[in-house]
Amino acid sequence: MESANRTPVPAAANSPAGSIYDLGYRHYAGKRNGRGYAMWSLFTESFRSVWGFGRPMTAKAAPFILAGLYALPAVIQLAFSSVFAQRISAGDQVSLLSYNSYFASLFVMVFFFCVAQAPELVCRDQRYQVLPLYFTRSMGKAEYALARLASLAAALFVVLLVPVLALFVGDILMKPDTISAIGDELPKALPSLPANALISVGLAALSLAISSFSPRRAYSAIGIVAYILLMEAIPAAIYSIGSTSGSWLDKLFLLTPVTSLIGAGYWFFGQPLNPNDFSGSLTSDAYLAAAIAGFVVATAVLVYRYRRISA
Amino acid sequence: MALIAASGLTKHYGQVKALEKLDLAIEPGIIGLVGANGAGKSTLLKILLGLLTPTSGSASVMGMDSVRDTRGIRQVVGYMPEHDCLPPDVGATEFVTHMARISGLPRTAARERTAEVLRHVGLYEERYRQIGGYSTGMKQRVKLAQALVHDPKVLLLDEPTNGLDPSGRDEMLDLIKRTGTEFGITVVVASHLLGEIEQVCTYLLAIDAGHLLSAAPISHFTQRTPVLAVEVEEGADRLVAALAAKGARARQDGSRVLVAIESDALYDTVRDAVADLALPLIRMQQERGRLEDLFRDAAPQEVA
Repeated sequence: MESANRTPVPAAANSPAGSIYDLGYRHYAGKRNGRGYAMWSLFTESFRSVWGFGRPMTAKAAPFILAGLYALPAVIQLAFSSVFAQRISAGDQVSLLSYNSYFASLFVMVFFFCVAQAPELVCRDQRYQVLPLYFTRSMGKAEYALARLASLAAALFVVLLVPVLALFVGDILMKPDTISAIGDELPKALPSLPANALISVGLAALSLAISSFSPRRAYSAIGIVAYILLMEAIPAAIYSIGSTSGSWLDKLFLLTPVTSLIGAGYWFFGQPLNPNDFSGSLTSDAYLAAAIAGFVVATAVLVYRYRRISA
Repeated sequence: MALIAASGLTKHYGQVKALEKLDLAIEPGIIGLVGANGAGKSTLLKILLGLLTPTSGSASVMGMDSVRDTRGIRQVVGYMPEHDCLPPDVGATEFVTHMARISGLPRTAARERTAEVLRHVGLYEERYRQIGGYSTGMKQRVKLAQALVHDPKVLLLDEPTNGLDPSGRDEMLDLIKRTGTEFGITVVVASHLLGEIEQVCTYLLAIDAGHLLSAAPISHFTQRTPVLAVEVEEGADRLVAALAAKGARARQDGSRVLVAIESDALYDTVRDAVADLALPLIRMQQERGRLEDLFRDAAPQEVA
């Protein structure tokens, strides 16, 4: 008996007579993509927000300044490549920045980048309770977590590759014969890709996993700083106190988040670990295994956290 | 098949029984889901969306089971949560477009739908400004827009008038009414304010402490015997007695006297009674049978 009330009235019947712009409500009959597309959309939005695009200028400051500072030494070397080239041709010994130790000497900037931007990705949605809007659409909780992870890893990869590119171009410009220089430099530079990819995903997973536990940026940032500093300092302290050569204590270094990523980087370059940076008898194989294990554990924690989160 | 159905739907949070053996069969329309705070309204909506798993029993939307076919349901449902759910540092256009894309709309379609839907909810120039600077009314409109942007078949609104001033509330209710009638979308409005439900809904579900109190078309509640409310400054009790003596059904309600209007002659009866007693009359007004009665009196018979 109420069917008259429930039958939809055509849009035109209700629209004001004088309005020519109001076409009424139109239903959407077009294409609807699935979850892969939803993840890609979240990835792109996320990648933009890491860099502060679509946000006020203040949101762009931290990522661009930190990425710039990380690339600065390499860019300076590139800028002065002609000077270096003259000195090399004059027979001087010039110590140039190398691909494999660049991250080790400047990782602080990347560390700060994670501290500043990882909370940006996962805390806002929790703080402003946006998550239910995602989880009532065609997006699962694990998919949300993985898309966020991929975007931070991609952003870090960009940060890490800019100086590699600058070093590469600089090193080529220093050589008289450009074509052969490319041939010489490429094999040296290429291991940077997998090494930096591993560092990116490792740091991204770790910092997001920690950030996701608090809706407040500040607490998340403190959490990342505290975890990384403590996990770097504690094994080193225990090792230095109890160190006797051949002791098992150096295995503790496998728990370190950043050192194991640096050590894993050496594996791709096929070089022995620099004894100035690495204590103990661990090889880059062990660090590679530790870095991959760390990534897997952090990703699992991140996904677990989102599975448990109530929307 | 009913648009939204539930059978034996039960949800317990530990000791707390949020829903208890709920049976529902909802047909298209604007459906009011009314109940006090904590009656189980939000829990029911969240089960329909697949955000919560029922303890026992089952629920379905358009024939899709809420547990097994969550993704299917989410394609056809739009959800406006009760709480704030908007990030403050993006514009409404950007946010709604993003949500449209998460729903699977291609980029250009997402932009077009966003522009259209924001216009429908009444956001114009301000839609490029950051949401953080919006008034509560504008935020509620954005929340409604994000629920509508992927053109759902069913819209689930949880307390859509929360925090709005009276004029904002009327605008939101008007918007809901237009969405339900003009857009041809079934709307489920959860609210604890009966007056709102009365204004916009065609069908009413009342739940109390997890139990279904009643489910019937709204006319069933509002077309009952009309009531005349007589407000007097003093002597309400004497007026009731005088009216009762003249055979009218009257009862006192604070300073007011409620009289059942059984025939037009009643108005004269009331006028004479007031005049005879020389009572200071403030006003007389006819009241529709109101939904508050639902919770005050015994539950009316179900008309399913």
